[in-house]
Amino acid sequence: MKAPHRTLLVAVALLLAGTSPGHGQAMDEYDAPTTVTIDSLSELYEPVIFSHVRHTKLARCKDCHHHTTGHQDMNPNCVRCHLHSPESQTVSCKDCHTRQQFYPEQVSELGNPNIYHIDKPGLKGAYHLNCIPCHVEKNAPSHCEGCHAMTDAGREFFRLTDKTPGTAKDKDSRVR
Amino acid sequence: MKTFIENKPAIPIVSHLNPNGSKWALKEKLWLGLSKQEYKEQFIRNPVNWVLIFIFAIGIPILLQRYIFGLGSITHGSNDYPWGLFLGFGLFGMVPLSASGFLLGTTVEIFGRKDFTPIERLALLNGLLGYFFAVVYLLVDLGMPWRLYYPMIVSLGPAAVLFLVAWHVATYLSVQIAEVSSAFFEWIGWLKGKRFIKSITIGLTVAGIILSTLHQGALGALFTYAPTKVHPLWLSANFQWIHFFCSAIFAGLSMVMVSAALCKRYLTWRCDRQFLDNIDRCTLGLGKGCAYALITYLVIKLVGIAHDNEWAYLLTGWGQYFMLEMALAVILPMMLFAYGVKHQRVGMVRLAAWISVLGIIWNRLNTSMICFNWQTYQEIPHWKEIWATVTVFAIYFIVYRFILYRLPILYQWQGER
Amino acid sequence: MKKLINRRRFLQGSLVASAAAAFPLAKNTAAANFEGYPDSMGVLVDLSRCVGCRSCEAACNKEQNLPAPEKPFNDFSVFDELSHGQKRRTDETRYTVVNRHDIPGLKHPLFRKIQCNHCLEPACLTSCFVNAYTKTPEGAVIYDASVCVGCRTCMIACPFNIPAFRYSSAFDPKIMKCIFCYDTRLVKGLPPACVEACPQEVMTFGRRTDLLEMGRQRIRENPDAYVDHIYGENEAGGTAWMYLSPVPFEQVEFNTAVPKEPILNYVKDFLSIVPMVLTIWPALFTGIHLLATKKEKMEQQKKSEGSES
Repeated sequence: MKAPHRTLLVAVALLLAGTSPGHGQAMDEYDAPTTVTIDSLSELYEPVIFSHVRHTKLARCKDCHHHTTGHQDMNPNCVRCHLHSPESQTVSCKDCHTRQQFYPEQVSELGNPNIYHIDKPGLKGAYHLNCIPCHVEKNAPSHCEGCHAMTDAGREFFRLTDKTPGTAKDKDSRVR
Repeated sequence: MKTFIENKPAIPIVSHLNPNGSKWALKEKLWLGLSKQEYKEQFIRNPVNWVLIFIFAIGIPILLQRYIFGLGSITHGSNDYPWGLFLGFGLFGMVPLSASGFLLGTTVEIFGRKDFTPIERLALLNGLLGYFFAVVYLLVDLGMPWRLYYPMIVSLGPAAVLFLVAWHVATYLSVQIAEVSSAFFEWIGWLKGKRFIKSITIGLTVAGIILSTLHQGALGALFTYAPTKVHPLWLSANFQWIHFFCSAIFAGLSMVMVSAALCKRYLTWRCDRQFLDNIDRCTLGLGKGCAYALITYLVIKLVGIAHDNEWAYLLTGWGQYFMLEMALAVILPMMLFAYGVKHQRVGMVRLAAWISVLGIIWNRLNTSMICFNWQTYQEIPHWKEIWATVTVFAIYFIVYRFILYRLPILYQWQGER
Repeated sequence: MKKLINRRRFLQGSLVASAAAAFPLAKNTAAANFEGYPDSMGVLVDLSRCVGCRSCEAACNKEQNLPAPEKPFNDFSVFDELSHGQKRRTDETRYTVVNRHDIPGLKHPLFRKIQCNHCLEPACLTSCFVNAYTKTPEGAVIYDASVCVGCRTCMIACPFNIPAFRYSSAFDPKIMKCIFCYDTRLVKGLPPACVEACPQEVMTFGRRTDLLEMGRQRIRENPDAYVDHIYGENEAGGTAWMYLSPVPFEQVEFNTAVPKEPILNYVKDFLSIVPMVLTIWPALFTGIHLLATKKEKMEQQKKSEGSES
């Protein structure tokens, strides 16, 4: 997780310095929704009511949205192609990151020689890989139930049904 | 037994005919020509039997427990240590000690050394029983012993080393049964059968050499499946099979010397003059063979270390343990054999034989258990596992003794042969 | 596919046919290396992503109908469990486990998932004398309990210590190990349950060839984030499950002594002498017999001649 951390630090540093972000035609936080209900994967956990507006105050668009909001990404790997990429039609995570991952469609797609992004995470991976490092960094909740409460199905899945659940301390102790 | 023999001229039974002219019935032969009362008396008088009863009193329930509640209930066998004492001692130890059959068979039948004939049958029996009980140990250890025949007919995995072991041990067991059966045929008086076996002796013996070479080697080769688990000093991927084969030579010879010494001492009544008069000379002869086998083994062990360039390991704790094994189990008996043979000291040769029998068991336990998983931890067997191992060995002892008491192994059958 | 068949046929052939005194040794060279079924599937595990949530363990337990664990799957005290000084391993109740590894000099621990690596040339398969194991073209190493005798050689042979035995059962013992969710998912082209359950996408499921490319790309694009090695690319002759790590693999208790060739190669020296012994020994020892007993025979002949004249 070193690379995301560094990007994050850079982003935070820029934020503190008060420099204005991005290009003129880029989206800004006022175009964004106030809350997003993340429920497309909810089965073991309840849906998450994600306060987008709160997060826009803590991080910048590109920290989560790459270059799609028109703000230039700082990751040198991305900059190689996306230095001048304009804002794109769709910015929502699920528009690019598929709900089902590693199903035959995705696997056979890798046979297409025109695809560069051969290592694109699925939707669930994209959420967690994006959220958790920053939550850890900022001491925000980073254990599973810090963001989404477990459903009955989840309790059964984790074999909690016939036993008393582990204490919160146990849960937190494993988070890095 | 000795007391009865003094009082009863008819026993021990050495021919079909009772001295009073009538023929011994099979039942009488089985009872050693004693009445049931007399048989009971000699059984009770023998202190060895009380030790055996003590072993069985605890061991049989343990074995039952294993078959009702599973291996986990009596062993420390684990996912990290799949093989414990039953295989470490029972299979890997018993099989080299049973190489005596093919070795003496080869010496007498192939090399024409008729001077070793007096102990040939003892060696063959020792081989047969050792193999048979290796299979018994296997039946205790296998997860599904009722499927023992599966590799033979149900599902074949012929590219596996164990497949070779299974087939060769099974075939060799049949060969050995055939070889020993000539003694049995004499005893029951079926000469046709004996003559038939005699006519195919050379074939059987050559088959014995092939099968023994391969499965003695194969037992070693089994460990080449675990190049990262067995300590490098006990495992040489290239030479493991020949290390095992070569050590089986002195192991088998030593075992038959030990067995012969025990017979001479404790079963004197059953031995005839031919056996008693020749046994010391034969022991010296075998001792010479052992000395050669041991020096060869020592050299190829060193070759194994040199080939894989493992000298640096010798400086570690494991290396010192290895050198201890080499010193006590190889060099010491080798010296004793050489000195004893040169100076005609039978006692010393017998001592060397004892040492090398224990030494080979030690080596096999080292390879299969003690130096296995050398980088993680060492498993100590459950006491029930040890007791069960001893129990099976006690059954082996009883069967061995039962046959020696009766069949013409230590003596020559009188009359028609 | 053809290559594997050739090679295994050769080995089977050499043992079976050698009994009939025929040994097609030349075939050996043709099938010296097997690089896996084309298009077989694999999983790339990225240790830098795992947070130790144990969702994969829970998913495996559910998918494979394994018995209830002692502690629920969100109890993280299991990471402190030690048995004989060893961290948790696969056993008859769990086909996969995640262990925590504290790395000196690293702020946070790393977590390592263990399960069957589904070797291209599995040692368990080649050591099995009843052919209970099969490497499927999809990449899974599966096991047939109905022919298993319970000899546990596969457990000796596995360089990753994966197969476990049901020691607790006297009447229905068997080997228990990860089967890549073969029958329920892999045959349908679906990723195994653990992969699908992982929130962090620690595991990437795909064709093994694609995964190698992906792994190399991750290393190339983040050279500071990974050591330059994909564990499993060549280990034990190559495995379907492969690993990327931010620290040297031995620090996460990977066995780096596992050879870079199939375990079978270590056994071949012996397998190759088998046909030789079977064919040369009879001639050799019969010859010795004739030589050793020649004198005797001649004497007998002389005697019989003497008596005739």
